[in-house]
Amino acid sequence: MPQPAPKSSRIRDLLTKPIRLPQWLAKRPSVDDPRIFGFNEERDAVVSEVSTRVVGQCLSGRGELELLLNDSAHREIKRLEKQRDEEAREWLGFWQTVVRKLARMTETEQRESLRQIVDSMATDVAGNFDPRVYSFAQRVIPGMIAGVMNPKQLAVDAINAGKVGAERLVTLTGHLDELHSLSRVGTVIVVPTHSSNLDSLAIGESLAREELPPVVYGAGKNLFTNPIISFFMHNLGAYRIDRRISSRIYKQVLKTYSCVMIERGYHSLFFPGGTRSRSGMIERHLKLGLAGTAVEAFARNAIRARKTGEAPTPIFFVPVTINYALVLEAESLIADYLKEEGQARYIIEDDEFSQLDRWLAFFRRLTSYGAACVLRYGPAIDPFGNRVDERGRSLAPNGRVIDPVSYVTHRGEPVLDPVRDAAYTRELGRELVGHYRRETVIMTTQLVAHVLFRRLVRETPGLDLFGRVRRRGEISWDHAEYVRSYLDTRERLRELQRAGEVQINSYVETDSAERALERALEAWDGYHTRPMARIADGQVVIEDPALLLYYQNRLVTFAERIAGEGDERAAREIAAFGGGELP
Amino acid sequence: MTEVEPGRVSRPYDDHVHEGPRPLVAVLGGGRFGLALVKAAARTGEVLLWSRRDPELGLDNLRVTSDLADVAAAELVLMAVPSRYAEDMLREAGCHLDGRHLLVHVSRGLLDDELRTMSHVLKTVTPCRRVGVLAGPISVDVLTNASPGAGVVGSEFPEVAEAVRGALGGPTLRIYDSSDMRGVELAAALTGLLLFTVGFAQGVGFGPSTIGAMTTRGVAEVARIGMALGARADTFGGLACFGDLLAAVAGSDRPELELGRALAEGATPRAALLRAGGNIEGIEVARRVSTFGTRRKIRTPLADVIAAMVGGELTASEAVRSLMGRDVGSE
Repeated sequence: MPQPAPKSSRIRDLLTKPIRLPQWLAKRPSVDDPRIFGFNEERDAVVSEVSTRVVGQCLSGRGELELLLNDSAHREIKRLEKQRDEEAREWLGFWQTVVRKLARMTETEQRESLRQIVDSMATDVAGNFDPRVYSFAQRVIPGMIAGVMNPKQLAVDAINAGKVGAERLVTLTGHLDELHSLSRVGTVIVVPTHSSNLDSLAIGESLAREELPPVVYGAGKNLFTNPIISFFMHNLGAYRIDRRISSRIYKQVLKTYSCVMIERGYHSLFFPGGTRSRSGMIERHLKLGLAGTAVEAFARNAIRARKTGEAPTPIFFVPVTINYALVLEAESLIADYLKEEGQARYIIEDDEFSQLDRWLAFFRRLTSYGAACVLRYGPAIDPFGNRVDERGRSLAPNGRVIDPVSYVTHRGEPVLDPVRDAAYTRELGRELVGHYRRETVIMTTQLVAHVLFRRLVRETPGLDLFGRVRRRGEISWDHAEYVRSYLDTRERLRELQRAGEVQINSYVETDSAERALERALEAWDGYHTRPMARIADGQVVIEDPALLLYYQNRLVTFAERIAGEGDERAAREIAAFGGGELP
Repeated sequence: MTEVEPGRVSRPYDDHVHEGPRPLVAVLGGGRFGLALVKAAARTGEVLLWSRRDPELGLDNLRVTSDLADVAAAELVLMAVPSRYAEDMLREAGCHLDGRHLLVHVSRGLLDDELRTMSHVLKTVTPCRRVGVLAGPISVDVLTNASPGAGVVGSEFPEVAEAVRGALGGPTLRIYDSSDMRGVELAAALTGLLLFTVGFAQGVGFGPSTIGAMTTRGVAEVARIGMALGARADTFGGLACFGDLLAAVAGSDRPELELGRALAEGATPRAALLRAGGNIEGIEVARRVSTFGTRRKIRTPLADVIAAMVGGELTASEAVRSLMGRDVGSE
């Protein structure tokens, strides 16, 4: 029986497949180059390894192959029928044929279909890395952001925005020295908090500035629709994730791809919160998703290394908090949070990320604010949550060096075990949440928003969140009282900082209460469409409680401990937004 | 790159019986319950007891040590030290343990007003991650005399429950497993409150209907608290909570029962504690749960009343009036 096959289309390929530069012009990577410089040479081997492994896993469940193919086909048909694009024209017929012929297929034919599906999925997912594109992007990343989105009439503005040195926009702090040495001895997995689509650019910029090796990362296929962004993303190590595909086979392909990449020692970037934080809160529940494959990758490397009597390459998780004084998509995100739109929440079709004027307004504000984005690199941990030293050795709580392989052994031998690894991954998620909280850098806008929002809560007892966000322009507060409350709250925050429980931005540290309010209002007024608060006749008037909520949410976990006399009840209510203190 | 065998991954503990003799089991703490664990574990293989004194049990396969470094030789480590000494001891033990050890505690206490449980200490002061809790109506009698019984091990790691089953289980003791470790820990701790209530109701002289009503509503209350902390509701219908509670109604000798009876009979809180036999973790639990409920806006009427009674703020009759005078809702 002839096998079903997708319709091929060269025109579609040209329009939708990311463009790569000709390889015969490229120079061969040298031994001193970062591992990823040689990725293109390994790319086919990676795809083939992913394919083989996924097919093997799908075949291991006896009698389940037909069910798996059938389920995948129906899910894909449902998706593609709605989609009605080039991809649908190419694949719809293929899946329909699979469904029609499945019952009559021999086992060999079923296997062949599976192999074909897995191969094409793995090829579609796999990224690319071109050192030439990397060195180009490294020079122009800040300009590129504005340049890519630049229509003619806004070109001048955009170029001006692009000239702003990245150093002024993004400040780097934390355990960067440690990261330098760790990236030489093992595989680094950068796991940042996620509040904006600019996060991956900020991370990329920070690594380039520090001359740290670039990382591979998964990016939603929707970000590949702009051919220029797609070109850069694709050639800088991004692999494509199509969130619309719900087939189990595809999920297995993604997991295996990230596992194989980590096993092979490619430094990686994952946003373990999954999507941007809608509420503005620091992530509290991490699913980890693809980052969870690191435990399996480590176990596989440990088994391999045991055969040769060596120690496996260590894997490190590096938590990073990305702290914005101003968030590009704040308005859409908080609106989405308040709406709680259900299942399709992760794709906001028309947020500020796709609106040119918002980008420009945003960058103008950022540049006048100074260091408006602070990236803080936390201390590295191994996949089992243990701190590591600068040589990459895992440490017990008392500082003793321990062997990470002991976590994946059974009776002395390293073994694979998905149930165990899933448990380690959940544990790692909980550990990272604690790191995020401690490494969060509180910005002026967040603290000002918190003090104002807490007042709103205090003034509106018994009202629910939705009642409160509607109270626009109704609550005003004596400026002098505001100043007292701000200073008291800041002092309590400083105590938490001294105890190592949170970080504070230098502006928060040095600004007077009046200046801090001014700074926050300036930042918001120039960017957000509605005023968030204003000063009139010696009163601070709360204008947009929803956006205040967004910015203040960063402080939810600390609310009870930074509240002074009279604010305890309001703080308790705020703490309850995030489900109270962390375990 | 050499490929690691693809396909079905190994789950060696599925067939541990074929893997030769059971690895060494260590028990930390030579109290009543610790010794009962030693006797049960000695029926299945070698046991190491860490204790300051030798209980002289006369078992051939038991070795007693006062050096925590010796514990490193074990695979499964059962921690039966009272909660208030646990952290210091674990900190020291942690200096000798690593990722291969399976660490299981039997504590029924809560650590603080955030209702943190013992597993939190296990994971923060030792490098062990494969941790668990043993709970349910397992009494000293069940362990020592091999009377028929059952318990539950809460752990996210299947190998932990399997190791406890291998060490303690047998023809007369069934060890169930649950992946809801937090739920099992909370159930074990919060059941102390319900036991107190049963004792109190008995002391006041209430009949079976009253006791039935109070305990059932009590289970709903503790499940509510558990769920607020990420536990599963059904865990509270299992051995760790319901099983323990039924054992109490059937006449177990848990000290919380005696404490409830003493207070109901008008003893002062201090006298009641003395009569019930000193340290009872359930008392501190009541106050903590009540504080937690207030902060998180969770209804905890039983915990509130018990905390107030033990604190001397409510008399027995006021407590009953307070409980019965509340609004009635859906079950």
